Amino acid sequence: MPTRGLRGLIFAAVAALPAVVILVPLGSFLVMSVARAEKHRIIYDWTLQNYVNFLGNWTYLSTFLGTLWLCLEVVLLSLIVGYPIAWYIWRQKSWKRYALLQLAALPLFMSYIVKLYTLRSMLGLNGLVNQALVSLGILEQPSQVFLYNQRAVLITMTVIYLPYVVLPIFLSLERIPRSLLQASTDLGAGGWDTFRRVVLPLSMPGTIAGALFAFVLALGDFITPQMVGGTTGFTIGRVIFSQFGLAFDWPFGASMAAILLLVALLLIVAAGYAASRRRV
Amino acid sequence: MLRTRGDRIAEYATCAVTVLVLLVLYAPILVSAVFSVVEIRRGEILWETFTFRHYVTLWSNASVIDALANTAIVAICSAGIASILAVLLALYTEWHGAIARTALTLLIYLPFLLPPIVTGLALLVASANADMDRSVLTIIIGHTIFVLAVAYRLVLTRLQALPPTLIEASFDLGASRWQTLRYVLLPHLASSILTGALLALTLSFDETLISSFVAGNEMTLPLRLWAMMRVGFTPEINALVTLVLLVSMALALAAASLLRPKGEPEED
Repeated sequence: MPTRGLRGLIFAAVAALPAVVILVPLGSFLVMSVARAEKHRIIYDWTLQNYVNFLGNWTYLSTFLGTLWLCLEVVLLSLIVGYPIAWYIWRQKSWKRYALLQLAALPLFMSYIVKLYTLRSMLGLNGLVNQALVSLGILEQPSQVFLYNQRAVLITMTVIYLPYVVLPIFLSLERIPRSLLQASTDLGAGGWDTFRRVVLPLSMPGTIAGALFAFVLALGDFITPQMVGGTTGFTIGRVIFSQFGLAFDWPFGASMAAILLLVALLLIVAAGYAASRRRV
Repeated sequence: MLRTRGDRIAEYATCAVTVLVLLVLYAPILVSAVFSVVEIRRGEILWETFTFRHYVTLWSNASVIDALANTAIVAICSAGIASILAVLLALYTEWHGAIARTALTLLIYLPFLLPPIVTGLALLVASANADMDRSVLTIIIGHTIFVLAVAYRLVLTRLQALPPTLIEASFDLGASRWQTLRYVLLPHLASSILTGALLALTLSFDETLISSFVAGNEMTLPLRLWAMMRVGFTPEINALVTLVLLVSMALALAAASLLRPKGEPEED
């Protein structure tokens, strides 16, 4: 083992770059959140005024709570749709399983902005959804309800973040030893009992990880609400982004993002704790 | 295994959900590909409008070409830098003399775990504090720290799977530290580095949220598309979108084929 001094030196050499490009930015943004803006100048005077303004203003606070609720809806919807998909892929064998897995994973790498663009055109007045519903006779004429509202944001986010939910669930299902399933069947449990008492509890770590991914990604997304949300689909991400554009109040934007960061960190820690407790 | 009726119903129902959702997930590529070559009115495809013209006019659109060049530069630089950093950091965190291993690992994963809006504006604030103008360089930094976690994870997993006897044997046979790294470790890590670099390229190619904070007046392809989208739908955008999707899927498939375990044992 090298001497203490040498170890310190090597650490400094390796950690210097990550510290400068990751730690320093995170630190300076947290410092910015306790500064204040005055006529396009930033004054660093260590004030909590931004946080007070945010928590004391119902417009901002309700937008924030609304965003948390929206993210929760995205998580629930993606779990309801995503879990059966992961389960189905897991039940398949050899090449079929691998092919389906790849098909489910590939959309992760499809351009985010492109998905947004096509979903918007599909949900629009002349979009595929409306055309299909009209030609099936379900709707008399194309409807506006699919776009530019909170529901449109929910649907679009669920489609975009669904693969992030399916994959971790599949990976935790795959780790379940076949012998456990056979033992359960041998002991007389039916398909449903085996699922409820063996498969579902053992797939919890992946389910929690997937839910966490979807929640955190939806939490900070500001482009989806802007493109499909219209005037009612306002989220905290949009508010933060506007502080760095037209509103030009960087400290206020930074303080809201700091709260977002806090929520994300708390969730990551809580999910890590929950997943580790359930590990066998 | 015995199959009851309930099992079969569950199988069919989940199969239906899977097929339906895959259709929705793949609709973007189908829809944009179709719209890029023909016009569709009132649910009918107008075959007489079939043309590849929009793909040609794309190449004379200077703003698109500029954005494409920026995207390529950013993707290649950030994937390259992230791969080198990933190897260095993985070797360091696996070294028995490492200090603050947990903190360093957390630092590497943070930009990937945090909402991109936080990473993006942290970089924006830091570059403003350092009086650094937003440019291609700031985009490269942003993408590098974002993709680093993926590259690091892949190299680390491979490194941990290597038997320690391999390195001991190398030392016993008289190889120096450098020779062990050059002739034993790196060849074994090569494919994981390549996979990491490919995934990094794919992620950087699509990255939008961090870029929107650190790009300044520069444009990457997703930012250009975002700007074009706000104006409206044109066949030209569809042509561009189709190309973007094909490139990112090709990159992802290349990475996946490298990741695929060879000689996988069959279950059951």
